[in-house]
Amino acid sequence: MLCQTATLWTLEGGLRVAFERRPGPGFAFDLRVPVGSAHDPRGQEGSAAVLEEWLFRGAGGRDSRQLQDAFDDLGVRRSGGVGPEATRTGASGLLADLPAALELVADVWTRPVLPQSDLPTLLDLARQDLESLDDSPTDLLALKSRALAFTHAPGDPGSGYAHPTSGTLDGLAQISAASLHRHLEQYGQAGSVLGIVADLPEEDVLALAQRTFAGWRSGQDVQVPARFAPGGRAHLPYPDGEQTHLTLTAPGVDPRSPDWLAWQLALTALSGGSSSRLFMAVREERGLAYSVSASPTVLGGQGFLSVYAGSTPDRAPETLQVVRAELERLSAGLSDDEFRRAHAGLSASVVFGGESLRGRAHALTRDLTLFGRVRGVSGLRAEIDALTPGQVNAFLRRYTPLQDATQVTLGPGAELQSPQRQQVQA
Amino acid sequence: MTRRAQPEDSPPEHRLPNGLTLLLESDPAAQTVAAGYFVNTGARDEQSSEMGVSHFLEHLMFKGSEALPSQALNERLDDLGGQSNAFTSEEATVYHAAALPECTGELLGTLTELMRPALRPADIEPERQVILEEIAMYAEQPSVRVMDALRADYWGAHPLGHQVLGTPETVAALSRDVLRRNWQERYGAGQVTLAVVGAFNEAQVLAWAGRELVSWAVAEANPVISPAVPAHPGTLRRLLDPGLTRVQAAFATPGLGTRHPLREAAAILADLIGGENGALYWALVDTGLTDSADLVHLDYRDTGVFEGGFSCDPERLETVLAAYRKVMAGAEALITDTAVRRAARKAAVGTLLRAEAPQGRLFTLGMEYLAVGEVRTTEELAARYTAVTAGQVREVLRLCPLNLLTGVVLGPG
Repeated sequence: MLCQTATLWTLEGGLRVAFERRPGPGFAFDLRVPVGSAHDPRGQEGSAAVLEEWLFRGAGGRDSRQLQDAFDDLGVRRSGGVGPEATRTGASGLLADLPAALELVADVWTRPVLPQSDLPTLLDLARQDLESLDDSPTDLLALKSRALAFTHAPGDPGSGYAHPTSGTLDGLAQISAASLHRHLEQYGQAGSVLGIVADLPEEDVLALAQRTFAGWRSGQDVQVPARFAPGGRAHLPYPDGEQTHLTLTAPGVDPRSPDWLAWQLALTALSGGSSSRLFMAVREERGLAYSVSASPTVLGGQGFLSVYAGSTPDRAPETLQVVRAELERLSAGLSDDEFRRAHAGLSASVVFGGESLRGRAHALTRDLTLFGRVRGVSGLRAEIDALTPGQVNAFLRRYTPLQDATQVTLGPGAELQSPQRQQVQA
Repeated sequence: MTRRAQPEDSPPEHRLPNGLTLLLESDPAAQTVAAGYFVNTGARDEQSSEMGVSHFLEHLMFKGSEALPSQALNERLDDLGGQSNAFTSEEATVYHAAALPECTGELLGTLTELMRPALRPADIEPERQVILEEIAMYAEQPSVRVMDALRADYWGAHPLGHQVLGTPETVAALSRDVLRRNWQERYGAGQVTLAVVGAFNEAQVLAWAGRELVSWAVAEANPVISPAVPAHPGTLRRLLDPGLTRVQAAFATPGLGTRHPLREAAAILADLIGGENGALYWALVDTGLTDSADLVHLDYRDTGVFEGGFSCDPERLETVLAAYRKVMAGAEALITDTAVRRAARKAAVGTLLRAEAPQGRLFTLGMEYLAVGEVRTTEELAARYTAVTAGQVREVLRLCPLNLLTGVVLGPG
């Protein structure tokens, strides 16, 4: 049952390990290293993405192909990649293969080959990846939205949140083997978290983690601030598009704020299921869009709300109006029924999210990063159970996301006309 | 995860007098329960003039029954935790939901109410708009456009070439009568399998089914299955879109059907060529020629197809095309004992891991049953992969020589 609590260790070199024992024949782990695309050196945007690819081009005395074969010999499923704030590598497989799989990942981080001859290829692949964004309206929209909402200030570490993970053409042109070797020095045990779920005695797991990551450099743990620039508006013309896409980005609640769970519950009522407000108002009642959603994201330790919808151009103005009206009327609070339903959904999602080993391993590293602690499944459900409608509605009275929201649209034709201030419809 | 599927005295498969099938696989150690109606019908069972009707029906099921209006149905689904969804493919339409074990009764009741759609005109029109938006959304994605064009070429007039969503024209023309007729003909008890997996009491569910599902109507007309004969012209069609930055290419060549004894070996062959560690990756992506290149094996009731493709810079197209063809032509050399064992183990472990939670096991159980007409445990499925030999993979290549590719290239020219 779900009564396990995670065991936490901090290894001598600083790596934190969160372990949860669970019966079953499988294992999963997730290593989160706190260096992502936001940490790319200014002028060398794309460094983290290219470096991650380079790391997998051979390690521990194996060349690129031998490394891939070694993972496949274990039959493990690999996961991970580069995000704005972190680089993750994980794997899941059968229990007996956990030590070998963890050693392979540790080899990638501690003993990479980094073949110089592969670098031009990797830079060209990053260039191709960048150019493919031009053929994807939703990716272009998301990029513009990030660039508009998050600014960089002099003195901030890294290059910030505005560029694609793959970098920029100018940034890629400035990346060299030497610059990547320098950048790799940031990656290490400091701030890194390894989440492991497996049916093994604690002492075995601790010994395994100590053995495999001994000697990994310290690295640096630097948070890149997410400076939100309120109120921006932009429209990107996309003449050949079938739909007009729109996104709003607004301040949310920080993970360590006492309002975090109230915010999560409110977002479940707004966009959690097929009876949620946005789904009902935009899709079910008006048939305005196939895809409409509002979801929380955390950048630089702060929470943000990100809303998306896509409609054919004639209907997009109404979609925008309805979406804005729904955000506006949030502050009037949830009905008792809405609260009960969102509460059930949020509570069940904790159980469903913890069912898969991979999901749980990911939750371990995420929790340690965002909350500084691991929230057990039953403990978290108890925290959710303690929420009251009064608490959530008191929070919502103070929550006015539209006030500062940035808005980006992309599609054929001119910018959408929508009133600056929507009347409350509630 | 690798759970014993059933105690031996309790077979998982039950058939009600009206022909409806129940698959019950309980696991007391599970934390949740998942249930799904697997309907043995999809886009290939449509008349071409009614293309998209299966998918339209799938959407309309969520609009409520005579007893339960749309909003009330969706609220009940959310009361269960919001883990419900549905999908339509060429051969199957699936409705599924999951809940905490204490809600099993409500889960089955709500999912069953969903299967009795009222098909109210006032619900049909807004949903038609939603589907037109869905079509518009995919029409913007080059990888989807190229695949739609490929399937049209490869299958020709055969309904396996139908677009699951339909076209704006066919969807606009689907009347309530057509929707209702399709529902009556294709949702008869004999076409329907209810699978339940996870923490639940089998005797209680059987008793519930004996009360609630015996009145499920038998279809008046049995769907006609037209044997799959691809047009498979071996052509390479070039589509021009000056607005695009990159080229997308897609290919198809014959494979094996779901009931073929070498079905797993065909999947292994596809992995050797087009998997993450396959020959296409090493020839095309590792070298930087393209940023993606793959091949998969898809199987249907009576046929299969190897499908794959790549995306690349426009000026590299001819080079990449030649390299892609060269890998396909050299497939024989990839089939070694070591490579087959490696790919087979990966597939077997993947099968075991997918079954770790009831929702994962539900899909495998239900989809396999629709495909092969029998229950296969997770262990059996994994063992079918590890038993694959290099000789069997060579036999697949003899049966499906991969030498005549039908292809479509979409790019700026």
